[in-house]
Amino acid sequence: MEYVVLVKGVPDFRQGKVKFKEDNTLDRGNTPTVLNPNDQFALQAALEAKVKHGGTVHVLTMGPPNYKKILQEAMSIYADKCYLLSDRKMGGADTLATAETIAGAVRKIGNVDMIFAGFKSADGETGQTGPQTAWKLGWPVVTHVLNWRVEGERLVAERTAYDEIEEVEAPLPAFIVTDPGFKPVYRQATHRLKLQDLQEQTQARLSEFDRHFAAWTAADLALDEKKIGFKGSPTIVRTVEPIPRAPQERKATVYDGAKDEDVKAVAKAIVAAVKA
Amino acid sequence: MADAATRGEPLRGGIYRDMWVYCEQKDGEFLPVSLEMLGEARRLMDKYAQDYKERENVVAVVLGHSVDGLAKQAIQRGADVVYIGDHPELATFRLEPATRVVAGMARAKDANKAYDKPRYFLFPATHNGRDLSATVLAELESGLASDCNKLYIEDIPIKHPVKTPGGERIFERTLGMKRPDFSGFEWSTILCLNDPEKEFYPQACSVIPGSFQPLDTSTGRNGTVVPYKFNLGERDLRVKVRSRRKLGGGVRLDKFPVVVAVGRGIGANPSEGMRLGVELAKALGGEVGVSRGVVTAKYPLDANSKKYAEEERQIGETGQFVKPKVYLALGISGAIQHKKGMDQSEKIVAVNTDEAAPIREFSDVFVKGDLYKVVPPLLRAIEAELKTATAAPAAPIAGGKA
Repeated sequence: MEYVVLVKGVPDFRQGKVKFKEDNTLDRGNTPTVLNPNDQFALQAALEAKVKHGGTVHVLTMGPPNYKKILQEAMSIYADKCYLLSDRKMGGADTLATAETIAGAVRKIGNVDMIFAGFKSADGETGQTGPQTAWKLGWPVVTHVLNWRVEGERLVAERTAYDEIEEVEAPLPAFIVTDPGFKPVYRQATHRLKLQDLQEQTQARLSEFDRHFAAWTAADLALDEKKIGFKGSPTIVRTVEPIPRAPQERKATVYDGAKDEDVKAVAKAIVAAVKA
Repeated sequence: MADAATRGEPLRGGIYRDMWVYCEQKDGEFLPVSLEMLGEARRLMDKYAQDYKERENVVAVVLGHSVDGLAKQAIQRGADVVYIGDHPELATFRLEPATRVVAGMARAKDANKAYDKPRYFLFPATHNGRDLSATVLAELESGLASDCNKLYIEDIPIKHPVKTPGGERIFERTLGMKRPDFSGFEWSTILCLNDPEKEFYPQACSVIPGSFQPLDTSTGRNGTVVPYKFNLGERDLRVKVRSRRKLGGGVRLDKFPVVVAVGRGIGANPSEGMRLGVELAKALGGEVGVSRGVVTAKYPLDANSKKYAEEERQIGETGQFVKPKVYLALGISGAIQHKKGMDQSEKIVAVNTDEAAPIREFSDVFVKGDLYKVVPPLLRAIEAELKTATAAPAAPIAGGKA
């Protein structure tokens, strides 16, 4: 089986890492880029696939040349092969143009059985690229997946849908979007041992990363230049502005948290409100 | 200003009209967001008629099985036309058949629809609505903004290397789609614009539930109901639902009289900050919630506090809506997304080091201070106060010492 995992580099929103400009908009230049937190679930799902069914895990991202380190971060979880789709012609892509590009890369890898993606990236948070890529490939897509298995030629997956859990089945090849609640299931001891082996192997591979890495351009993927990057993007970002402050709605009584009597007064107010 | 010759007229001659709204229903009832979108679509298109001296319709799209009753409701809540896609296979939502049917409606030309594609299209930013918006727009090859909470229609001057290679041009009747970005730090305005070689319609977005007001039901409104005819093939139905069960567990924060919400203020010592929040909630018979910031921060939390920093406890626009008797916000700055999920609370108490934090504007009690230093004595004082309150209820407290 061949698996593709889609990952993305996003600004590191952790305290101390994220930087803002004076107008409170994100300072992209000074905020480091990291692997999108939700993508670790997609990588875990692909690793689970490899443990149970063997095959190759191909990890794919699109971005500037320095996104190689995003792929290295991904490999530290698991990857057999990494691909960076990088080309000025791919730049400025919205979700539609990104889906077109990724679909091209999946076709180039060839004979792929399953694609795994994380739910929403921490920066754009659109959640659109996965389903759009699947649609362009003509594959069934199952989103919000909590766990999955293969039965014969079919994918069986549990997914969240509002206050319910659905069990769905789909033919392969199929596209899986993992939910942040995704958990791999390793019930057999042989699987747990295999998991350990694979985790050790991917760490070893990381030390010779370039041997398992390829960079692809638009020409490599035989893409229609009118459908990718800026040119292939219906949408543009017109403006980015800080979110305006709402007008004052309640008149807060201000207390000093360092003063004993203030803290007592606050406690009294809280308890009175709870008992009311 | 650009003159008429350089204005953004369609270059490939397509005809685009109306604002379409995908009205999601579950078990024969509209989700609230569906009515909210219809209300906003009505307001936008009434203003459109004034601004451009042309009336265009609000078109509701309803999928399901035996959902005719919903058509009337959609009209009473603002729709001029309702497209009904009725099929046993659509009784519960499935992405592929739903995409086929909605994209088919958008492209159909019949007695009710003489244009090529909708001009605008709104979807709910829900589990299913979000997926559907993505695949429908992939099928229709147009642009989509996700998770919007403010919309407007204007003639917009644009200068852009791809969209306007000859210099600035006015794009008429453009839908401005505003979305809170980056965990609520920024507000981006997304536009879907034609380029010299291609027309991109519909201009589409998904809408965050709770962003807009529905219209009151008006029984006097008239509209047209169109039963849309279609066939579903084997391929459309290849994803099958085997079973469905109610999700147990999960944390329903709206069931508690007290919610203690923890924000990025716990960054300095996340496990300890979370522990304090949990203690406070326990003392008051409440539950712990978190801000979006805590969910995305992925703090290295210890085993006891880890489970609290999950998405299922997130309060705000993309999480839960709560209105407890007391809402205690620890180290939460008060981003607008967070506010939407809690500002109906009866009493709001904020603990924050920054006296200028936005949350002060919608708090009743603001305690200036470091939560690590404030919460332990506050907890003791609350415990003491609770004992007093139980021992001598209500009346004797009046006239007590301040």
